[in-house]
Amino acid sequence: MAIPQTTSCPPVPKSGISRRTLLKCSAALAMGPAALPPAYGKAVEKPEAGTLSGTLSKGKVIDCHAHLNHRSRSTWEADDHKLIEAADKLGIDQLCCSILTPQRPATADGFRECNRWTADGMRRFPGRVLGYCYVNPGYQREALEEIRRCVEDRGFIGIKLYNEYTCTEPVVFPVVELAIELGVPILHHASHSHYFVEDQPRLTDSGHLAELARRYPEAMLICAHISGGGDWEWTVKAARHAPNVLLDTSGSVTDDGSVDMAVAVVGVDRVVFGCDSSMTAGIGKIRGANLSAQDKQKILGGNMTRLLRRRKS
Amino acid sequence: MIVDVNAYLGHFAFRRLRNNTAASLLVLMDSKHIDKAVVSSASAITYRNAQAGNEEVAEETKGHRDRLIPFAVINPFYAGWQDDLKICHEQFGMTGLRLYPKWHNYQLSEKCCRQLVDAATERGMVISIPIRVEDNRERSWLLNVPDVPLEEIVELVKAHPKARFILLNGIGYTRCPLGLKDNGLPSNYAIGLSRLSAVLANELGQLITNLGAERVMFGTGMPFNYPDPALVKLEVLDAGEPEKEKIRYQNAATWLRTVR
Repeated sequence: MAIPQTTSCPPVPKSGISRRTLLKCSAALAMGPAALPPAYGKAVEKPEAGTLSGTLSKGKVIDCHAHLNHRSRSTWEADDHKLIEAADKLGIDQLCCSILTPQRPATADGFRECNRWTADGMRRFPGRVLGYCYVNPGYQREALEEIRRCVEDRGFIGIKLYNEYTCTEPVVFPVVELAIELGVPILHHASHSHYFVEDQPRLTDSGHLAELARRYPEAMLICAHISGGGDWEWTVKAARHAPNVLLDTSGSVTDDGSVDMAVAVVGVDRVVFGCDSSMTAGIGKIRGANLSAQDKQKILGGNMTRLLRRRKS
Repeated sequence: MIVDVNAYLGHFAFRRLRNNTAASLLVLMDSKHIDKAVVSSASAITYRNAQAGNEEVAEETKGHRDRLIPFAVINPFYAGWQDDLKICHEQFGMTGLRLYPKWHNYQLSEKCCRQLVDAATERGMVISIPIRVEDNRERSWLLNVPDVPLEEIVELVKAHPKARFILLNGIGYTRCPLGLKDNGLPSNYAIGLSRLSAVLANELGQLITNLGAERVMFGTGMPFNYPDPALVKLEVLDAGEPEKEKIRYQNAATWLRTVR
């Protein structure tokens, strides 16, 4: 079997603690004097009186990339509660969750089971857990039925695609077309490394997503975890000219400048906050980014709220 | 008071760093209410002659020694390391080392490295070991530098009970003897919190339970990293204020004050 191209070419330009306290702190620490060498925008600034409170504390904070636990894990229920407790500590109002099969590629039975558990999570944590419907596009009929069932009947907010296929493979297109029909976003696992990732031969990167976005300009595509371990500078640059690709800030990497560069290159309206289970890293990066409180609120929840309002059903 | 045991000055070969001069780092520290930071040369990680990086840091921190505590980067497989160590300690006033065994291509178990550890210990210097510099998945196409295996650290701390080690940028300590209670190892190492989880798996809390709060130190990895994630960990950590104070600065102050 021919292995598909695994990394895209760079796209050619075409066209305890109160959660509120933490977020106030985030705004406070975002301020500061422009005495430093500029990179990806202004340097660290000092707090300015009267600019801190308010803005961040009024907006909803939505983690666009979270996971509930697969029930093969003996501690799944307690671990799900820990996720909500962590969100409480960190001031995260809602978590957009999927459950992935432990082994991939997922079977149809496997992803349907995961989605049932996600739906149950939405019931157990009402208002806190929003559901992504996880499918393997290779099971086309089952995947499309499952998406429709999850979005229309169970109130899921979007679709989660992992690494079963690179997003530019035609087998993925019907899923994208259904997402457009339903008006829901697709959160796509993605990363770009400068070597062949053997255990993920069909890994998608932001260049692939930009290519898919050009084919489907109405789609809402979220490129997962720019801080998930790949070359985030490449990831950000490859997404620049794809206006319907948003960048999710999640991942365990806390490299300074990553969020700032994402905003500088693709614009603040295309950056969405996420953790992907790296909770303090997720909040900390937004706190540390040298952005205005208003821009931080867009990333923390405003942009995702806007995306979710485009739902058609 | 906050003391950051994990900070850097200078350029890194594979990514632009902001706030990598003494002046700009101090502004960043002010904005985050970090009082003091242990700094070493980021450039020395990839310089062949690491001493050039030490010279840069010595110069850069002049006039800021009340807040910036310079550590030396020494490669024990490079000619003249003994001279470099002496100069860094006696002339530059550097009170500790940072070792990069994987970046400098040697094993912690090799004779030269053991000699360096002994020599630094003889001088009362603290030895810090960054387990990684950056996530391996974002590496350049030019090289592939693995993390330092924690098993190699276990052997090192066992072999040098009088030495004092600060382990930086690591995780997974609770899955190896280093992070276990009653592990039979000398208590000659402390662990920086920059990559430890403080919620969910909460490795930070587990380490405090297993080893005691006096074995954990605050460190950010700035300017490689945003300092805020480390600060957030302290804020959400489920521990008493006395424990947090140890982590924020008391442990570092104790370790750094006892050096010559």
